[in-house]
Amino acid sequence: MSVIRDSLITQLTTNLSGSNVSVSSELPFTSGGEELYNKNMKTLYVDEEQIDQETLYEVLDRNNVALNTSTLNAYVTLDAKTQLSDINSIIANVLSAKSVITNTITSESDYETDMDLDKITYTFAFRFDKTV
Amino acid sequence: MTGTVINVTSGSQAVLTLGTTQAMAAPGGTNGLVVPLMQDVTVSASTGSTRYSTLDSTASSAFTTVNENSVSLNMLVDGATFFGDGANASNDIANKGLLQTSKEKTEINFSVAFNEGNTTGEYYVEGTGFISGLTPTASIDAAVWVSPMEIIVNGELTRVIVS
Repeated sequence: MSVIRDSLITQLTTNLSGSNVSVSSELPFTSGGEELYNKNMKTLYVDEEQIDQETLYEVLDRNNVALNTSTLNAYVTLDAKTQLSDINSIIANVLSAKSVITNTITSESDYETDMDLDKITYTFAFRFDKTV
Repeated sequence: MTGTVINVTSGSQAVLTLGTTQAMAAPGGTNGLVVPLMQDVTVSASTGSTRYSTLDSTASSAFTTVNENSVSLNMLVDGATFFGDGANASNDIANKGLLQTSKEKTEINFSVAFNEGNTTGEYYVEGTGFISGLTPTASIDAAVWVSPMEIIVNGELTRVIVS
């Protein structure tokens, strides 16, 4: 279980309460050949945390300092024909959830969209850099 | 002939130890302050010289003057080492930290172990000097405090081969 993922889901749940999108704690796995976020529209799914580590400082006593970059993606699929009335607020609130992760050097979030027939999938990317 | 390099890959080699006495500052010395998180260390044994020219020679000549020795390094700043642990009653440098010792211009004893410096046949250099050149710097890209440091050696560096 990822602490960052848990914290992010908690913050997203708070940020999106009262909106047209809910947050699931399930991973966005594929069920019956279809991703959960495509099956359960208007539900945001947060994927597992991916960690990339590189050495930031090498020191002679081998107590090196490393930089951990954590990346998490979140997905939600909506109706492309009729956009949600609060879509702008939803996007802003998802992106701002990054602030719950503290003690980071870098805290970034952005999103991209992908349309398939009458569905639009929002893919949000969160990136956090920490020294360890 | 094949030489034998002195590698620094074990983590217990290339070690700078500071103390209030030479015995304390020797590698592995009791209550010695081992400076942690060094990125590099340089022992400079510089022979002073003066050049002069003569009319009967197409090349300049030289004579030596006094040696100017120093030890310089770059390190990640360790809080207890830099500001003192406030606990070591035997080693004032460890107690007060590098910054305060530098400010007070206290003469210190030091050793730089080329290998571990505690086994017969291993090498280290020792001497006395003054801590200078502390310039801690931080930026969000660097992520941690880093600082250079110099020990201005008072007198000669002494070569020690552990026997």
